[in-house]
Amino acid sequence: MCPGPITDLFRAYRNANVGDVIELLATDPAARSDTEAWARRSGNEIVAVIDEKDYLRIQVRVVKKGR
Amino acid sequence: MQEPSVNIVVVGGGSGGTLSANLLAKQLGNKINAGRVQVHLVLGSHEHIFQPGYLHVAFVGQDPTEIVREERSLVNQNVHLVEDRAERIDLKSQVVTLASRVKLHYDYLIIATGSVPNPKAIPGFSEAALNFHTSPEESRKIWNVIQQFDGGHVVVGIAGVPHKCPPSPNEAAFLMDDYFRKGGMRDKVKLTFLTPYPRPYPAEPMSRVVEPLFKERGIEVVTFFNVESVDPAKKEIYSLEGESPSYDLLIMVPPHRGADVVIESGIGDADRWIPADKNTMRITGYENAYAIGDATNIPVSKTGVTAHLQAITVTDNILSAIRQRKKLYKYNGRINCPFEMGSGKAAFVVGSYDMPVKEIHPSRIRYMMKKAFATSYWRTLSGSFDWLFGLYFGKTQTVESA
Repeated sequence: MCPGPITDLFRAYRNANVGDVIELLATDPAARSDTEAWARRSGNEIVAVIDEKDYLRIQVRVVKKGR
Repeated sequence: MQEPSVNIVVVGGGSGGTLSANLLAKQLGNKINAGRVQVHLVLGSHEHIFQPGYLHVAFVGQDPTEIVREERSLVNQNVHLVEDRAERIDLKSQVVTLASRVKLHYDYLIIATGSVPNPKAIPGFSEAALNFHTSPEESRKIWNVIQQFDGGHVVVGIAGVPHKCPPSPNEAAFLMDDYFRKGGMRDKVKLTFLTPYPRPYPAEPMSRVVEPLFKERGIEVVTFFNVESVDPAKKEIYSLEGESPSYDLLIMVPPHRGADVVIESGIGDADRWIPADKNTMRITGYENAYAIGDATNIPVSKTGVTAHLQAITVTDNILSAIRQRKKLYKYNGRINCPFEMGSGKAAFVVGSYDMPVKEIHPSRIRYMMKKAFATSYWRTLSGSFDWLFGLYFGKTQTVESA
């Protein structure tokens, strides 16, 4: 109901440095396509999407941030 | 005089706090009059603001005084009003310390301290942007500025997450479009909507409603735009994703954070939201302390309706405990956010924890319903209209044996 996982990703991205890996745990299956679309647009890199039993573990490497 | 045997402290006099105190006072009137119970409502301000009204102050020119009332006039006479700021909440020793150093001991606590717009979180934002989430006066500034505006690039949107009232940034774009059309100058205005989300509205079913309407009205959307900073001199706005559009008029919703008392008391997460159970609103680790409305980290919209429905569940649980009924009420996450879409039409964002947000299209009748909710707001704070809420919302909580 609430855009939780993607909101958490943005909060982590705001505080991250280039080179950091953000790990997102999401039960919402849409988190995968949303994160992939964001990574394509922002020039960041999806390291892995792991299908755990009840949730997705999405790892994103910050390679670009800001100007 | 006999010492009250049960002390209930409600911190915060917004929608959730006021309704909680009123519901408890109404139900516990006899015990309060007998000196067996006290309900204290701790207010940060003597004024109560109908915050959804900011939108019409900013974009329709409503008189800001119409959305403000004295809190005293809204509170049941059996509530003990404490016109002082809560400075520290100690959950372990069950004490709320006020700015005056007075200590209130509680048996039950409801924290309803809301959320606070935090424009300073983004460099340059305060100097560059107008916003309609801070106060009636700030909202009025927008109305004054758009009346003088003679054309250019208007940028509207979300500067950070989370923020209260999820539909409000989209509503602002629709009402700006309305305003410039009515003034016969829409062709002189480029209107852009910036959002950190992947689509014009975060919940996909409602985004399917918004997207074609934005297109029809010539409102350009830029997604995945997390505002990093604003340069007021160059009139440019920069995103973490590396984009930098320019603007002539910038109207954005600032990021929000929890109240100062939350961080000073060490009871919130890094963003000052209070960890609480999404069904009972019990603060994690505490049986007799609750947090409702915007103040929590619960994954549900930060809106007055949420605070209202959570207040009902929490007060039912406190009443059940005081009356030893051994029942546990659980809020089901029902939301019902009015969503104005211009041209005198509105929809609602409707969902719950188990029911994904529905696709609801704008209509005139829904706009009239939104207006009716706004008009009846002050009276709903007394709790007297909850039978009507019940009819309209259906089930908003479940009950089981405690």
